[in-house]
Amino acid sequence: MWSGNLKTAIGSLRQRRWRTIFTMLGIVIGISSVVTVVSLGYGFKHQIVGQINQLGSNVLTVRPGKVIDKQGGVSSLNLYSFLAPSTLTSDDVSSVRHLGLVSSVAPIEFVTNVASGDNGELDNVFVAGTSSNLFDLLHQNINYGAPFSEDDADQNFAVIGSDIAAKLFGVLNPVGSTVHIDGQDFIVHGVLAPSSGGFLSIAQADYNTSVFIPTAAADSLTSNHSNVLQILARVKPQANIDQAAARIRSTIAHNHGGTVDFSVLKQNELLGVTDQVLGKITNFISALAAISLLVGGIGIMNIMLVSVSERTREIGIRKAIGATNRQILNQFLVEGLALSIGGGIIGIGISYLVNLILRLYSSWHPVISVPILILAAGVSIGTGIIFSIAPALQAARKNPIDALRGE
Amino acid sequence: MALIELDEVSKLYGFGDATTLALDEVSLSVEKGEFIAVMGPSGSGKTTLMNIIGLLDRPSHGSYVLGGKQVAHQPAAQQAKLRRDQIGFVFQFYNLLPRLNVLDNVALPLTYKGMTPVRRAKRASDILELVGMRDREYYMPYQLSGGQAQRAAIARALINRPSIIIADEPTGNLDSQDSRVVMELLAEVHRQGNTILLVTHNPELTRYASRVLYMYDGTIVGDEKTAIGQMARHARRIFFRKPRTTDNDIAAGVSALIRDVPDKALNPRAKRGRPPKVKKPARRRKAYRTKN
Ligand SMILES: Nc1ncnc2c1ncn2[C@@H]1O[C@H](COP(=O)(O)OP(=O)(O)OP(=O)(O)O)[C@@H](O)[C@H]1O
Ligand SMILES: [Mg+2]
Repeated sequence: MWSGNLKTAIGSLRQRRWRTIFTMLGIVIGISSVVTVVSLGYGFKHQIVGQINQLGSNVLTVRPGKVIDKQGGVSSLNLYSFLAPSTLTSDDVSSVRHLGLVSSVAPIEFVTNVASGDNGELDNVFVAGTSSNLFDLLHQNINYGAPFSEDDADQNFAVIGSDIAAKLFGVLNPVGSTVHIDGQDFIVHGVLAPSSGGFLSIAQADYNTSVFIPTAAADSLTSNHSNVLQILARVKPQANIDQAAARIRSTIAHNHGGTVDFSVLKQNELLGVTDQVLGKITNFISALAAISLLVGGIGIMNIMLVSVSERTREIGIRKAIGATNRQILNQFLVEGLALSIGGGIIGIGISYLVNLILRLYSSWHPVISVPILILAAGVSIGTGIIFSIAPALQAARKNPIDALRGE
Repeated sequence: MALIELDEVSKLYGFGDATTLALDEVSLSVEKGEFIAVMGPSGSGKTTLMNIIGLLDRPSHGSYVLGGKQVAHQPAAQQAKLRRDQIGFVFQFYNLLPRLNVLDNVALPLTYKGMTPVRRAKRASDILELVGMRDREYYMPYQLSGGQAQRAAIARALINRPSIIIADEPTGNLDSQDSRVVMELLAEVHRQGNTILLVTHNPELTRYASRVLYMYDGTIVGDEKTAIGQMARHARRIFFRKPRTTDNDIAAGVSALIRDVPDKALNPRAKRGRPPKVKKPARRRKAYRTKN
């Protein structure tokens, strides 16, 4: 019975080819955007988790603002903390550096987003001041040249990401070339190995599109109004990580006159925060994409209603030769489902295509996982049923002689 | 026990001032194996009667017993099953589904029975052989002549081996040659023991019937047993009067048939111009209830 209905449905959808294509389009767009958004979210999470794990469990991250609200034991993300200007200062960095429990400390200070080289200017660069031990702390390899050393702190040296090397100089190894930042010249001292960091990485930047310069140079560029995005601190192997976190907290709080307007995060907390941020963003964008699914569903309903009234006579004939209301209902339900499931399959196909393109031409690595596919399948089936039930009922309830007479 | 038993069946269309009494307390009993021709002017209620007997429509009042069971008020699903298994319809305009080929059209009633595609195709093929349409199995309906389309439609009506065939003006759209083929087919089906109800405007076709009903204004005004091969008595009179249509009639668009109101003998209760009896059915309804 169902296979017969499917054959009928496909026959009738083929008959009206263009109408079918345009009706499916809504579902195609809806499903492909939801799948793409969710897979991007998955991909980011994957990358960030990898980065955080690469960082190691003994690294503490200090961030401005109260990133996590702890109320009644439940911690939730405080999104406002990302909007406030940084309260961390260079003094905080040196205070933390003097603590006995930590072995290595590096700040990341935002300087500007513009840099230029032989091939012109880029305005989507993450230019940050840091200390020479950052790369070691991040376990970030250098492909060409070398990181600047502690002795180079007052030199205009720069370590640049692999994308920047390609874009500003057009070569893999531009060591020795000059990069201009805010009117000052920096000599390229090293090029970072390509990393998988997305734009939502722990440094809130993609290392591939970063330019790191010594803190002293950064301070001079920002006239000492440095914007410390985070302080990374590796805890000594023999020290207790919670104790170290507490010490860092009290030390910086002391600097800030007792106010705790910053957060000291352990690796697992960092993971939690990332998870929440991504979850919220993904949900939000998915909700937007879901609107197109709703529109697509209404499109299906509309077309099915037209189809039912066009085929009044057919319904009459089918009833005259013995189709029950239920059998007519099934016929139109299957037709609506064929539309939405067909749209869903094409939508999933398109998301695989988008996925491939993103992987080839961007630093993003979306992941289409089985749960997303199940979700997409469920959503298309659900949309099909919800939006074709009314037209199918209308068809099923037609009075046979009125239907036979009607046109 | 009669196969079909209608008792004071009325059918009202519309309501208020626009009420039409399409059937007015029609009582009829049909035995198994009868070939009944139904005649009467346009609007006399022939199609309405067929639709009620075929369970496509429900009577407003009265009782309908089919094969010993009261069916007038059965749930829709039951009626659909009866239509599927007991009744085959042949319509004036063939009513084949335009998107299905002949074989699929003929096999369609079987899909609603849940038969497998292979068995369906086999059975449809056999029936098409019977109506001489085997070589047209894969034609689409628009590729058929009227006579061929009607033969396919008859094959479809026969496929579930129904006990009743209802043919509402099956030759209305056909030339005399095709009409003959279709009527011979129905006659053959009748010889196999089927009950046939045929609506026609052509008196000559009463030759195939064993009984002729004449309808007028929603009632059966004449009921005549006739020998197969003979034109029925009243039908013959209509037939011979037919050529007497005057030029004036033609100019006015009035055919001899429509003008041919049965005479007093046929129509003892002349009801022309009587307003519809809107009140009456309430009383009849009670009568129907007491009968149950
Ligand atoms: N759906 C309907 N709504 C209102 N009136 C109807 C409807 N169907 C039929 N009628 C009326 O019922 C009466 C009988 O109609 P019916 O179709 O049974 O006539 P008929 O004898 O089959 O005529 P014909 O020979 O032209 O086919 C007519 O007066 C018609 O106008
Ligand atoms: Mg009629």
